[in-house]
Amino acid sequence: MRSSPASNRGAGASDAAASGPARARVASGGVRLPAGSVLGTLRGWRETLLVVAALLATLQLGSLVVPKYILPDVPAIAQAAREVLVSDARDIAATLLRLTEGVAAAFALGSLLGVAMGAVPAVARYARPLLNIMMAVPALNWILFAILWFGSAEVRVFFVVVVISLPFYALNVYEGIRGVPADLVEAVEAFRPTRTQAIRILLLPHTVPYIIMTTRSVLGYAIRITIFAELIGTAIGIGARLNAAQSQFRIDAVFAWTAVLVVINFVLQAAVERLDRRLLRWRPEQALR
Amino acid sequence: MTPVEHAPTPRRRQDREPRPEPDAVVLHDVWRAWGGAVAVAGLTFALRPGEIAACVGVTGAGKSTALRMVMGAIVPDRGEIRVLGHDPARDFGLLRGKIAPVFQTDRLLPWRTALENAALGLEILGVPAEERRRRAQAWLERLGLTAAASKLPHELSGGMRQRVSLARAFALDPQLLLLDEAFSHLDEVTAAGVRADFLSLARPLGTTCLLVTHSVAEAVEVADRILVFGRPARVVAEVRVAAPVRADPVAQDRVRREVLAHLQGAMAG
Repeated sequence: MRSSPASNRGAGASDAAASGPARARVASGGVRLPAGSVLGTLRGWRETLLVVAALLATLQLGSLVVPKYILPDVPAIAQAAREVLVSDARDIAATLLRLTEGVAAAFALGSLLGVAMGAVPAVARYARPLLNIMMAVPALNWILFAILWFGSAEVRVFFVVVVISLPFYALNVYEGIRGVPADLVEAVEAFRPTRTQAIRILLLPHTVPYIIMTTRSVLGYAIRITIFAELIGTAIGIGARLNAAQSQFRIDAVFAWTAVLVVINFVLQAAVERLDRRLLRWRPEQALR
Repeated sequence: MTPVEHAPTPRRRQDREPRPEPDAVVLHDVWRAWGGAVAVAGLTFALRPGEIAACVGVTGAGKSTALRMVMGAIVPDRGEIRVLGHDPARDFGLLRGKIAPVFQTDRLLPWRTALENAALGLEILGVPAEERRRRAQAWLERLGLTAAASKLPHELSGGMRQRVSLARAFALDPQLLLLDEAFSHLDEVTAAGVRADFLSLARPLGTTCLLVTHSVAEAVEVADRILVFGRPARVVAEVRVAAPVRADPVAQDRVRREVLAHLQGAMAG
């Protein structure tokens, strides 16, 4: 396992639903991140497949005992999944687009704020409590605000994803900047860079692991938020389809969508993992005994 | 064999023989508190251009504090420092490209390759990418690191990393090199090798060098002049080391004992 930028200082995940590698679950400087990483499961393919098989078997067995409208059998779910993937590809695309837009905006704005906090102490002093307040507001409340404030479904989802993900980026990038070793600061400063150069040469590269770590954790959370926001306020998207499935008592479709979402989550985490390997090649692998 | 010269210190500038060039580094009655105690107490010395001077003192003598003031990283509480005619802290940008540091640990940027690290100073100086690549590569080659250019710091040994940090300093072609215990983090064999590399580059270039070290042997091997620091830092004795002395182990040993006696005297007094 690689050592996380601040793994020994961090708070544990507030959401224990998923258990990724420790570094993905742990945020720096006491910033609690919802654990979104299911990547740990990808590490052991055999175990993952066994667990999936066990779940399917349980489902199949359960469907023999309880009514179909509570637990559908596996073939029915597979059939529903096929239908969903063929006819509702547009909804999947819409959800992924919303997720990408929201997370990208949160990354851009949050990182910018984090850098500003790192560069100007006064910004940090006021931004910290503000971000902490933002993080203390439950997701549902943000969704209600979004519904009351914005007419457009797109704006609603975007707002909710941004407002929930941004504080994680801002606080972690800020931590990343604060965590730059004094030794390196002195060494780079000794070559007398301009402020911009110092930020570009030293601070930004140093925040990359923090940004990746945040993205890893935020993605899983953001996808849930996106679905949730879609469930309430949109006509297109996975959330909207789930809503429709529920109102039509299509339990097979709900299971099918659940499987699709799990796969999407896995794929996104794997993508971040690839990015991690490429960008963080410079960090030597460290392992505890 | 040139006899070792003990100069009374501090010497005032006007006492010395006239020179055409101004001193590269001048400290005049510099005071500085650090960590609640006086670390530097009336430090006065000057470095001629091209001179290699070593500040020797016991641990905690304020040597590094003095060096960091010359670097401009911290400012003195009192007194004056001129580096290449400038105030190193206030004239931050004016000295860009003229001073280069080598620290006890390599302090390379871990995400940069050896080449990119060696090019750091040139990048800050605004040298175009192609040119700085070429120059950094040339310095890596001179330090025997041709094959290591594309390696990351964690893939290199301690000695190689310190050589990269030397390349980073020399690539700037600085007028003043500041070395803070630059060889003391390495094992003796490696340190001797890196030190030899350093001397083989610094002497022909005529780069003014200010070293800080707690190793008297290292100071005698490297420096033209040894400034013996008391604690808190002030120059209690100055010992010149002529080139023939540096080449002669017996003479070296004699100078080493002289310097040690000064150090012990400073501690006792």
